[in-house]
Amino acid sequence: MSFPRAVLFLWTASLRNRVWRQLARLRRPRYLLGAVVGLVYLYSAVTRGLGVRGLGAMPGSARLFAELSLVGSALGTVFAAWMLGRDQPSLTFSETEVVQLFPAPVTRRALLHYKLVRGLLGAMVGALFATVFIGRVVSGTPVLFFLGASLALGTLYLHTTAASFTRTRLAARGGWGLAVRWGGVTLAVVAVALAVLGALRAHPFPEEVSSSRELRTWLQVLVASPGLDAVLWPGRLLVGPSLAGDVDGFLRALPPVLALAATHYGWVMLVEVPFEETAVVRAESRARERALRASGQRARTGTFTLRKPPFRLTARGRPEVALVWKNLVARKRMAGGVVTFMLFIVFGGAVAAMLGDARLFTDTREVVGPLAMTLAVMLTVVGPSAFRMDLRMDLPKLDLLRTLPLTGRQVVGAELLASALSLGGFQLALLSVALLMGPGEEAALLSDWWWPVSLSLVVLLPSLALAGLFVQNAAVVLFPAWVPADTGMRVRGLEAMGQRLLTLLGTLVVTLAGLVPATLAALLVGLPLYSVLGPWTVPPAALAAAGVLVGEVLLGVVALGRAFERLDVSEDRPE
Amino acid sequence: MDAVLEVEGLEKVYGDVKAVRGLSFAVAPGEVLGLVGPNGAGKTSTLRCLAGILPPSSGRIVVAGHDLRQQTVEAKRALAFLPDEPRFFEYLTVWEHLNFTARLYGVEDWEARGRALLEEMELTGKEKSLPGELSRGMKQKLSIACGFLHSPKLILLDEPLTGLDPIGIRRMKASLRRRAEEGAALVLSSHLLPLVEELCHRLLVIAGGRAVALGTLPEIRARLSGPEAEGASLEDLFIRITSAAAEPGTPSP
Repeated sequence: MSFPRAVLFLWTASLRNRVWRQLARLRRPRYLLGAVVGLVYLYSAVTRGLGVRGLGAMPGSARLFAELSLVGSALGTVFAAWMLGRDQPSLTFSETEVVQLFPAPVTRRALLHYKLVRGLLGAMVGALFATVFIGRVVSGTPVLFFLGASLALGTLYLHTTAASFTRTRLAARGGWGLAVRWGGVTLAVVAVALAVLGALRAHPFPEEVSSSRELRTWLQVLVASPGLDAVLWPGRLLVGPSLAGDVDGFLRALPPVLALAATHYGWVMLVEVPFEETAVVRAESRARERALRASGQRARTGTFTLRKPPFRLTARGRPEVALVWKNLVARKRMAGGVVTFMLFIVFGGAVAAMLGDARLFTDTREVVGPLAMTLAVMLTVVGPSAFRMDLRMDLPKLDLLRTLPLTGRQVVGAELLASALSLGGFQLALLSVALLMGPGEEAALLSDWWWPVSLSLVVLLPSLALAGLFVQNAAVVLFPAWVPADTGMRVRGLEAMGQRLLTLLGTLVVTLAGLVPATLAALLVGLPLYSVLGPWTVPPAALAAAGVLVGEVLLGVVALGRAFERLDVSEDRPE
Repeated sequence: MDAVLEVEGLEKVYGDVKAVRGLSFAVAPGEVLGLVGPNGAGKTSTLRCLAGILPPSSGRIVVAGHDLRQQTVEAKRALAFLPDEPRFFEYLTVWEHLNFTARLYGVEDWEARGRALLEEMELTGKEKSLPGELSRGMKQKLSIACGFLHSPKLILLDEPLTGLDPIGIRRMKASLRRRAEEGAALVLSSHLLPLVEELCHRLLVIAGGRAVALGTLPEIRARLSGPEAEGASLEDLFIRITSAAAEPGTPSP
């Protein structure tokens, strides 16, 4: 059997076995239900996509945003290929591929073609997902978007491979090679910087922007300036077929991209370098990382910063404090929440700027107060998903948790507390900023409500976040087969997607149901007092609502503690 | 003397599979019980039930006078479980793991004990290392150091010598012997029969989840009739017992 036929057999047999295994899983009701929900979601996503208006009919700002995003992603990939990472081949093989294919009687070029075809198939899968989830937003012709995106992602894959081969060759030539590489990179960066500066000098940011249209017009003129247009041209060329509104446009945009892809293929063949050694090291490292993740030990040693613990842990006192201390140490050292939080702020600012809310740049003080308050409120919703130093982080180490001399209630309570303290701390910091900045003197009506509402939020938001955290932790304990903890190994498949959707829905329903008693308590306290206290009715009402929420969580911790003690994951992993 | 560990009718069922079937035994203070059996015999399931990780399907486990089901926390305070694959919190250093353990078990003199244990386990100088920076053997030693910190009355060990070098193995055996001499009860599961033969006072051989032999090596030898049983090594006995257990209709000891 020739190598291509052997590979074809490998892929078809693997796919067939995977499909059979997934079909066999559907005999269990939870997977069947998940598959049905997943199918319904996919069907609605695709059919909705077919009914969405095309890019040509989209608002100018959205079209510009879509095009710039795609071009930016493409250029960012090219930038990363030349600037980041090590000077070694970028091809990655799994450990099985290394063991099975490297000793096989095939040439290096055959292995390279195998990997390139896999990469291109991966690009097509990526394009398919992009079509299902964003294609309907940026293009009215999903088939053309899929074909264009496949071609663009495939070409970028070839570029990344060729760039890594070229870098390896240049690095092998020592100082001269490095000088050539960095000289070329520097020239490109300087050219881009000059183009951007030139464009900004010709079209400076308007001093006063009163509407999003003005901002959009400025951006359109800016990117159309000759220098910047030249910088963006390769990216625009690449995404042209994806964004084509009709078949004619697609066919017109296709030839240059096909030529680009063919050139890149030739480039890869021309600069091919030995990649086996790097591939073996990388495969071993990935296998090690996967094994660590599967065992509940995330292989993130390199990313930890050994910051000091938040407080000194003495040997005396309540033992569950050790868990709180441990999770706060994790919070400080893993810093995932902070990074997410900062990304959240940067993304929010970028969206505000794209939508033309130029007040951010002109009336900073007036904007920062309400913005901080908005962020604190939004953290109540997104925070419980971002701050995960709790059972979601520790449940993969259930064996370890179960040996600790703590009751289930103690474990659940302590695990919940670290995330709640961190999230509440962020919210209180944001609310402090909001209170100090104030709404601005001209907003007289807002001024009356500013302090009462802000003070109410000080007690209400952390309680709501606590309730959100509790629901998410409860889902992991009560439905371990449905809500996988953070093992880093996501379960894939249609049924897994359906299960996640159902879990999300369930989480929302439980959260809303939990809010009903709190709302009633707030109304019971607030309504009689309003005629006397006016806006200052809000703090006692909020206090009542927060009290009910905290009470609900305390009761929930007791119940969840019992569930934790009974939690038996052994059926999924017999000896 | 009261047993540190008493097990009565322990059963563990995974769906349709009965992994452990009616195990009953006791371990006295200072005694080392070897748990041996072929792959899939139910050793790890048994140890996990004894450690409170898996809830038993039925049966009773009493650790240092505390029923593991009724007085879970008190029972767990008295035991240490050292798995074959040590688990750590990857963001805590070696020293912080000891600190964490000390708070959980209320070990007030933990710093002195911790230093002595790190010295004993040849981990001195690694206090600020994260688990990810330790070798396989070092992780095993850290697991043992954390397990010994609170001077447990019952120590459960699953393949304790995995990953250790010859010097580490020798030190570990000496360390285990010392804990037994100090009064701790040890249950040791291992496929290394020479280790079991060297360290254990009694053996519990299980196959198919059932106890097929329980007693000292001479007692087990005596149970087996035939001239070939006399002077047979543990390996020979193990093969004879487990092969016999695989045949249908074999009675329990």
